Formats: sequence, C-alpha cells, structure tokens
Amino acid sequence: MTQLSPHVEDVLGSVDRGLWRRIAGHGYPYKKSALSMIGSGILLAVIESLLPLITGYLIDAIIGKADTSQITWLAVSYVGLSIGFCILVWWFIVAAGRLATGMAHDIRRASFVRLQELEFSYFDTQPAGWLVSRLTSDCRKVASLMPWLLLDLSWGITFLVVVSVGMLIINWLLGLCVLVVVPLLVLVTFIFERKLLRSSRLMRKTNSELTAVYNEGISGVRTSKSLTREVENIDEFQSVSQAMRDYTMLNAVQTSIFLPIVTSIGGMGVGIALWVGGIKIEQDAGLSIGMLIAFMQYAVLFAMPVRELAARLSDLKGAQAAGERIQGLLEREPEIQDSDEVRSRIDAATKGKRSGAAVDGGDHRIETIEFRDVSFWYKPEEPVIQHFDLSIRPAETIALVGPTGGGKTTIASLLCRFYEPCAGGIFMNGVEYRKRSLHWLQSSLGIVLQQPHLFSGSVARNIAYAQPSATIEQIETAARTVEAHDFITQLPDGYDSDVGEGGGRLSVGQRQLIALARAILADPQVFIMDEATSSVDTETEHHIQRGIEAVLSRRIAVVIAHRLSTVRSADRILVIDGGEIIEQGSHQALLEAGGAYQALYRRHFAGPE
Amino acid sequence: MKTQAASITRVMMREPRIYGAAIGAMVISSLLLYLAPLVPLVVIDGVLRPSEQGPTTFELFLLSLMGGVDFISANLWWACVVILLLTAFAGLFAYFRGVLAANATERIVQKMRDDLYQRLQRAPVGFIDRSETGDLIQRCTSDVDTVRIFLSAQVVEIARAVAMLIVPLPIMLMISPIMTLASVLLLPPIVLFAVFYFKRIRSAFIDVEEAEAALTSTVQENVTGIRVVRAFAQQDQETEGFDVRNGTHRDLDNYLYRVLAWFWSTSDLMCMSQKIIAVGTGMVLLSMGRLEVGALFFFITAVSMFVWPIRQMGRILAELGKAQVALGRINYVLGQPEETDGESGATLDGSVLSGAISFQNVTFAHEESAPVLHEVSFDIAGGSTIALVGPSGCGKSTIINLLMRFYEPDEGQILLDGMALNDIDRLSLRSNLSIVLQEPFLYSRSLRDNLAMGRSNAEEVEIVEAANVAAIHDAIVGFDEGYSTVVGERGVTLSGGQRQRLAIARALLRDPAVLVLDDALSAVDTKTERAILAALQQRHHRHTTIIVAHRLTTVMQADEVLVLDQGRIIDRGTHAELLEREGLYQRLWKIQNEGMDAMTGLSGEVAP
Repeated sequence: MTQLSPHVEDVLGSVDRGLWRRIAGHGYPYKKSALSMIGSGILLAVIESLLPLITGYLIDAIIGKADTSQITWLAVSYVGLSIGFCILVWWFIVAAGRLATGMAHDIRRASFVRLQELEFSYFDTQPAGWLVSRLTSDCRKVASLMPWLLLDLSWGITFLVVVSVGMLIINWLLGLCVLVVVPLLVLVTFIFERKLLRSSRLMRKTNSELTAVYNEGISGVRTSKSLTREVENIDEFQSVSQAMRDYTMLNAVQTSIFLPIVTSIGGMGVGIALWVGGIKIEQDAGLSIGMLIAFMQYAVLFAMPVRELAARLSDLKGAQAAGERIQGLLEREPEIQDSDEVRSRIDAATKGKRSGAAVDGGDHRIETIEFRDVSFWYKPEEPVIQHFDLSIRPAETIALVGPTGGGKTTIASLLCRFYEPCAGGIFMNGVEYRKRSLHWLQSSLGIVLQQPHLFSGSVARNIAYAQPSATIEQIETAARTVEAHDFITQLPDGYDSDVGEGGGRLSVGQRQLIALARAILADPQVFIMDEATSSVDTETEHHIQRGIEAVLSRRIAVVIAHRLSTVRSADRILVIDGGEIIEQGSHQALLEAGGAYQALYRRHFAGPE
Repeated sequence: MKTQAASITRVMMREPRIYGAAIGAMVISSLLLYLAPLVPLVVIDGVLRPSEQGPTTFELFLLSLMGGVDFISANLWWACVVILLLTAFAGLFAYFRGVLAANATERIVQKMRDDLYQRLQRAPVGFIDRSETGDLIQRCTSDVDTVRIFLSAQVVEIARAVAMLIVPLPIMLMISPIMTLASVLLLPPIVLFAVFYFKRIRSAFIDVEEAEAALTSTVQENVTGIRVVRAFAQQDQETEGFDVRNGTHRDLDNYLYRVLAWFWSTSDLMCMSQKIIAVGTGMVLLSMGRLEVGALFFFITAVSMFVWPIRQMGRILAELGKAQVALGRINYVLGQPEETDGESGATLDGSVLSGAISFQNVTFAHEESAPVLHEVSFDIAGGSTIALVGPSGCGKSTIINLLMRFYEPDEGQILLDGMALNDIDRLSLRSNLSIVLQEPFLYSRSLRDNLAMGRSNAEEVEIVEAANVAAIHDAIVGFDEGYSTVVGERGVTLSGGQRQRLAIARALLRDPAVLVLDDALSAVDTKTERAILAALQQRHHRHTTIIVAHRLTTVMQADEVLVLDQGRIIDRGTHAELLEREGLYQRLWKIQNEGMDAMTGLSGEVAP
C-alpha cells in the first residue's frame, strides 16, 4: 500500500490505430451522426476563419468611405454567419449525443451479452469490480471520446488550412511571419500534453489507491481496532494522501506553465503582425489597416485548434487502455458454448417445434447421467479429477463425501457444465452433453451453492427468480418446504421485504434457505446441492430434512453431503478423495466395510482423544 | 445561496494568505493581458493612421511610455517586443496564480482527506456498522473531489471572470464610454441565462446519474451472481432487464445532450450578439469619426477576452450548490465523535495481566430496539478457556463486542483483572486482547505483513511459529512466493478456512492476555480444527481463551460452556455436565451428532 509504483511506461506508447479502427466500428450504425460531426467541424472552421476577415473588410470599407451597400452586405454576412455558427453548435451537440450515447449503449450491451456467455474460469480471475467498470466507465470513456475526436479533427485541420492559405493569398509575406507561431505552438503543445497526460495518470492511479485505503479502513475497522493499528494506518494513509497532493501539484504546475506559454506565443504572433504589417502600412505597400487587424486576430486564434488537436490526441491515448480492455472482452471467445452443429440444430428445431422436444430438437428428459473416464485439470501436471466413472440411474440420490479439495465441487461443476471435462465425456440419456444445448441443460438443473447469492429486491422475487410467473401461493409453498416462511413473515414487509445488495440484510443461513426455496420452486429435472445448508441453524436444518428428502426423491439428485441424515438416506454414497471414488455403497454397507467412510464417521463421534 | 457561499468561504479562509496572494497575482496578470492590446491601439491610431484630431491625452501618455511617436515609427519591432513582454509577464503572474491557488487548495484538501481517514479510524465501530461502506467511501473520495474542483478550478474561474471584467473597465471607459456600454450590454443576461438554465436542467443531470447508478448496480449484481444466473439459465431474462436500464440510460443521457445543445447554442448566440453589438457600435462610431480604428481593435479583443469567462461563471454559479452539498456530506463524517473523546485510562502491563474477566449484570440494546443482552453475569478465571454457544442472535457476538469495547454496555459493568473496562485506556485494553472474526479481514499486502500486522517488530521465527500453531504454515509455503505472497484483489484468493487460520496466527503472534475466537473455526475442517485446538491447549494458561462456536465438537474441551438464548445465559457447565442435563445443549448435541455435523467441516474449505 505504501509503496507507490504506478506504471507509467504505457503513457509513452503511441496510438494503436488498429484498435481504434475496431472501436470505431461500433459507430457504424450512427454513421449519419458521425458525418454530421465531421461536416459541422468543417463548416464551423470556415465560419470562424471568415469572421475576422469580414471584420477587417468592414473596417477598411468604413475607413475608405465605401458605399453603403457594400458595408451592409458585409454586416449582414457577419450576422448571418454568426447565426449559422450557433445553429451548427446546436446541430453538432445533438449529433454528438446520438453518437456517444448510442455507441456506449451498443458496446455495453455487447459486453453484457458476452459476459453471460463466458466461462466461470474467466470470472474466477477477474474481480467483479473490474468487470463492472469495463461496462461502465470504460464504455463511457471510449464512446464519449468519439464525437469530439471527429469534430475537433475536422474543425482543427480545416481551420489551420483555411486560415493559412487565406493569409498567404492576402499577403504572403505577412502571412508567413504570422505562421511562424504555428510550429512553436505545435512543439510546446505536444510537449506539455504529454507531460500532462503522464501526471494526470499518476493522479488517477493514486486516487484509486486512496479509495482502496479508505475502503480498507472502513471494511477492516474491527480488525484495525483490535490490532490497535490506528496510528500506523493513519501514518500510511498520510503517505498516500501526500503522494496525491504531490501529483496534483505537479499537474497544476504543468498546466500553469503551459497555458501562459501558449498565450505568450499568441502575443508574439500579434506583435510580429503589428511590426511587419506596420512597416508595410508605413511604406504604403498594399496592406490595409483592416487586414492588419484580421491578421492580429488570427495570430491569437491559432492556438485554439493546435491545443484541441493535442488534447484529443491525449484523450485517445488516455482512453486506449479502456479501449483495449473492452475489445479484449468483446473479442474473447467463450470456452464453453454450443457447437456450430448444436446451433444449427437449434435453428432447425425452432422452425418445426415438436412437443416434448428440447430447444435443440433432442430429448427433453434427463433420466440417466453417466461420467465416462472423465478427467479435469487446471494445469495438466496437477489433475483434479482422474479417470472418473459414474453412472446415475433414474431418480437416484447420490451423496458425495470426502475431505476438502478432494474434487467433490469439481464433479458438481462438471455436471452443470460450468467447466467441461478435459478428457472423457458426460452423457445425459446416452448423449454426450456437448452435443446438446447448453441452455437446455442448465435450465433442466436445479443448482444450490454453498454461497447463496441473492439479488437485491423482494424475498418473493428472489424465490421466484427462475419462475417469474409463479403465484404467491407457489412461492409460499416453496418457502414452507424449507421452513423459511416463519422468518420471512417476521421481516418488516414479509415477502415484499428487500433483501439488500447480495442479500446483505439477511443472515447467511437465511440466504441459504431462500436459495433452496428458489431451486425447489424451479422444479428442475436434476437437483444439485453443494453444501447448500451449511450455515443454517442446527435445529432449523433438522426440521427441513423431511421436506428436502421429498423433493429429492422424485428426481436425480447429486448432493455434496453435509448432514448424516441426508447421507444416510441417499441411494448411494461416494467417498471422494484425490479426484477419485475411493469407496461407494449404501450407508450401511459402507459402515460395515470398515474403510474410509467408517473412519470419517468414527472421527466425528470419537470425541476428544 | 448566501449561506452556501459563506460556508465554502470558511473553508477557503483556512489559507487566507495564499489565496490572497493568488488573487493579487491574478489581478496583475489580467491587467497585463489587457495592456497588450493597447499597444496595437496606440500604434495604429498614433503612428500608422494618425487621426485628424490628433491623439487623446490617454494615447499620448501611452505613446510617451513607449518612447514617443517618432521612435515607434522608426522602430516598429519595439511594439512587438512590448507586446511580447506584456504577455510574458501576464503569463508569469498567471503561473503564480495557478500554482498558489493549487497550493492552497491542495493543502486544504489533503488536510480534509487526512481528517476524514483519521475520523474513520477513531470513530466508534457502531458508526461504521450503521453506515454503508459505499456511502462513506463516496463521501471521502468523490465528495472531496467535488470540493477540490470547486476550490481549485471553479472559484478561480469565477474570480478570473470577475477580474477579467473589472480590470479593463477603467481603460475602456477612458477610451470610449459608449463603446464600454455596448461591450457589456448583454453580460447580465448571459450570466442570468446560464444560472437559471442550469438550475432548471439540474434534474436532467440527476436523472442521468441515477440511471447510471441503476445500470451499474444491475451489472454488479449480474457479475457477482453470475453462478446463480447460469444455475437457473436466466441469461436471457438478465439481458432483458439490462436492456431496459441500458436503454433508459441512453435515452436520458441523449436527452441531456439535447438540453445542453440548446444551452450552448443559445448562449453562444448571446455571446456572439454581444460581439456584434460591440463591433456594430464600433463601426458606426468609426464611420462617424468618433472612434479610431485602433480603439475598435482594442474593444473587439477585450470583448472576446471577457465574454467567455463570464459565460462560464454563470454555469459555475449554478453549480455552487453541488460543492455545498458535498461539503455538508464531508462535515457529517468529520462531525462524528471520536472513540477516545474525553478519555484517559490506566495503561495495562501485559506481562502481569492474568486475563480474568467478569461480566456483572450487563445489559445492552442497539439504540431503540429490544435488548440483545439481559443482565448477563459470569466470571472467567485467568488462563481458562470458556465457550459461548447458542442459536444465531442469542447475544454471543455482543458479549465479544462489549469486551473489546466496540460498544459500551447500557447497564452493568465488565472487569478485566478486577479493573472496570471504562477505567482502562482503550488502546491499551485492545492491545492485550486479540480477536479472530468469523470472516476475518485481510489487508491487501503480503502474508507476512498480514501476520505481523498487530506486532510490526515480530521476528521471522515467531511468525513461522504462530503460523504453525494455526496450521497455516504449510499452505503458505505452498504458494509460489511463500510468505511474500500478496493477498486480496491484486493477489491470490484464499479460502475461508485459510483466512481464518491466518487470522488466528495473526492473533497468536501478539501473545495476548485474552484470545477470542468468534466462530473463527467455522470454515476449518474438523481434522485441522482439532490440531489447532490441541496446539492452543499446549499454550494453555498463557492466555484466557473465549471460543464462540456453533459446532459443539469445537467447544467440548472448554473449562466451562455458557449456553445463551435470547440474550440470557440459560445454562452453564462443562461439556459432560451439560450433556447430562435436558436442555438446549443436549438437544443441539443430539441433532448435530445424529446429523453428523462434523462433515460440514470436512468439506468446509471448498475450492472454487
């Protein structure tokens, strides 16, 4: 925490054009708005370069006592161009809105859909907060950059070109003299934009560091207090807040140097115009006062497009990391998805839907499940499951027991196709599950996990999560099955009580009961329970046993076991260790066999040695 | 508005001298900036195109400053140098202004951040428990940032706009009062328009913010609950729900752009009209011979210099309220009492402390709600092990909270070694007690740092020893970087059981007089639990141990077990004694053993 090591090398990288071309692709549906931005930019630049010129001509016309019609014509065009300018401003902001919000919307949607398809191992490696900011701040950053990039590119370049050419045509010598400021401006601007980009990145990084320290200070308050760490924590915080102040000052100092230098360069341009132009006027060498005034205004105005162009360029660099992250997510192929063959069958099946068939046209029922020589590993040299065989008969309840890390949860995850076997296959009614629709499989399973996640919203909505159309009677019946009805009715608003973010307003045990009710209401073909009631009160758990048994008896159930009563009533108990079945049989048979199961059983009852 | 400005001003007045210097630098800088266009004015009107009436006194004065008409006429480069010098010096003072203002602001803001953090560290646990983490963090980060931007950018912008307008006024009046009037005619409507427009469309901004928050929480819920989404194959429904919020956000955001399009175009029109009025009036005066060309140039330049800052000022004035609200939210945190307020207690000497604890008729309730502890009394002899059991919500954790002085009892008192807790210095008390929570908090740094967190001078040997007692040493060595492995968001993820064991090691390392395990073995498997309890047993009499647990096998070896229900001690005794009596303990034991609860532990540490 204390050592600040922000990585800033990436700042110096250049703009990745391929990446931005792919990102710009998201703007294709909004090409009309994009063209509007470019068009407005060009028109605005033309208007802005004409206005000083008209002022100059007006002055000359008045001094030269030109006839009124010419003066009127000039004045009217000045006013007309000004009004046109304002209309264009309205026009490009509206177009920018369409482009930016539309692109952000589309990128977000594509990312969200992709997240729904990606395998769990992706989520295992990415903290939730990072994924969320991909869809929020990253999308916003990239999309809101686009319209201004188009506008400022077209405006800035047009302005520079039109004014330079115009000046050279009107008076090439004076024009050249005034144009001397441009390379200077470009040089200074680009040097400073780079420095500013760097220091503002340092600021942002330190700022997120600061947020993290606050977060630790708040979430860890009990721990910090019980370790009497307050003083050390405060010291450490101050080193971060000092760094934050230093970087902010660095940024402020750079800005404070940069802007005055730009102003001074503008002043230099005005001075040069006055000097060279003055001599020309003194010599009566074909330069009017009006033109001199126009040239002096241009000298000041030149700074603007240069600065805007540089600023957009650093925006582009600043948003590049966000763009990379978004494209990385969008371009990631899900490891687990329907094969092309399955997809074509789903297409065919939706056309001629047979009753009793699944979405992919196959058998809707799951009556038998078979693991054939299944192996699974994260790293090949450390297999989690090896040559695993298991055949589950219709309506059988299988209990998995065994030590931590033995592979029980992995077996359940493979069955749910959260992960796929690295070798071997899993067969539903004799068909390998990778030849079936993923959606069909998962919607046929009722999975209850040890860590019960609830969604914010009412208790009723959570129980009816998989069956949004369920009646309140059905919801209550499910809740009664798991003895959750009583505590739910005691909540302030009963079934309508908000469970809070992630179910935070309920205890873990209560959450587990609701998660269980949710699975029961879904009435799946196969029930999979992974430590589903580990945090439920001993007495409550005792009471719900019969209800759960009734639910399990009608279908295939795989239960990572937990209470002996569940284990005992299971049709078959598998003792899993080292990714293998080391023993299997009924409760009675295993006890009599005197193997691992008996040892497990004994250890529990043996009491203190 | 007045009170708003007042309390923001109070914040600024913490650095009056620096802000004063910044304002001074700003005035000088704007003055110099306006002097620059005076040079073309006198050069054009005095040298290049002398008027028939001859130069005015003001022009003569300026001309003489620059060396007189003839000198300038012969050396036009000199005008160029003067302009350059003026803008360069204006720039120098603008630099001073920027750095000074940033300096003052950053001092104030750093102090604010430090104060906030300090307050959060020292605030009673109850305050943090009552608050939402996200809300507190927002107060400390984005609210502070709002105030910072206000102080460093917005106040400066307002001041600059005012200076840019006021500084040239005397010069402008000296040149031409009519032109001056024509140049500022539309400024009041420009400011008022900005203020009122932004006040009116505030709700549009808020709508977008709320829509974005809703969108964020939808994504957040989906990502954190992705396993449930998949388990029930609800991807399509989730996407539908997301689409609604995503669409709403896009529409509101797009609406905001449209609203802003009207603002910017209209106010641009007003600003341009201001310029047209100035230029038009100037042209008329020029044709009537009542204004010189150079003077016209000066006015055109001046209007462009102040009209845009003035427009910005209107927008900022409308947003003044934001900074005020943020400041209020910050002050709410800073206004919380500190735990150590008005306290100076005895300091404990850990080496002679026996660790005897006595609760005497202790009653406690959270605010208005029903008491969670009713007149609880018990004594623990120094060096003994006692256990607290009972259903959820029976008051076990409250006893621990009171012992740690996270909360204060409403009635009764608690003694440590015969001394009332209230008479002991809070820090000294806590450094002699060690607590391990069910869901231990780990800091996102290395395992070694986490272990040594409560005793920064611990030696490597001691760390390893503590880790061995807590049966976590082998797991640590198994990581690629051993004790240097970083945990947390940026490092490895530990299982619940590993976290608990790590926290136990951390607590042991402090060698406290009292060790509290608040359901701290719930995720540790029974075999490991047994090993840890046995190792603790060996250290027996080195400290008093309080074990809170659901699993009765965990508490069997305690010297005494207190059975709690609904805030009262309903039974007490050794495991054997309690087992013989009919009651909650016996009932729980029966259920747990019939149900073979121990297998929970066997599979407690679930790999993802």
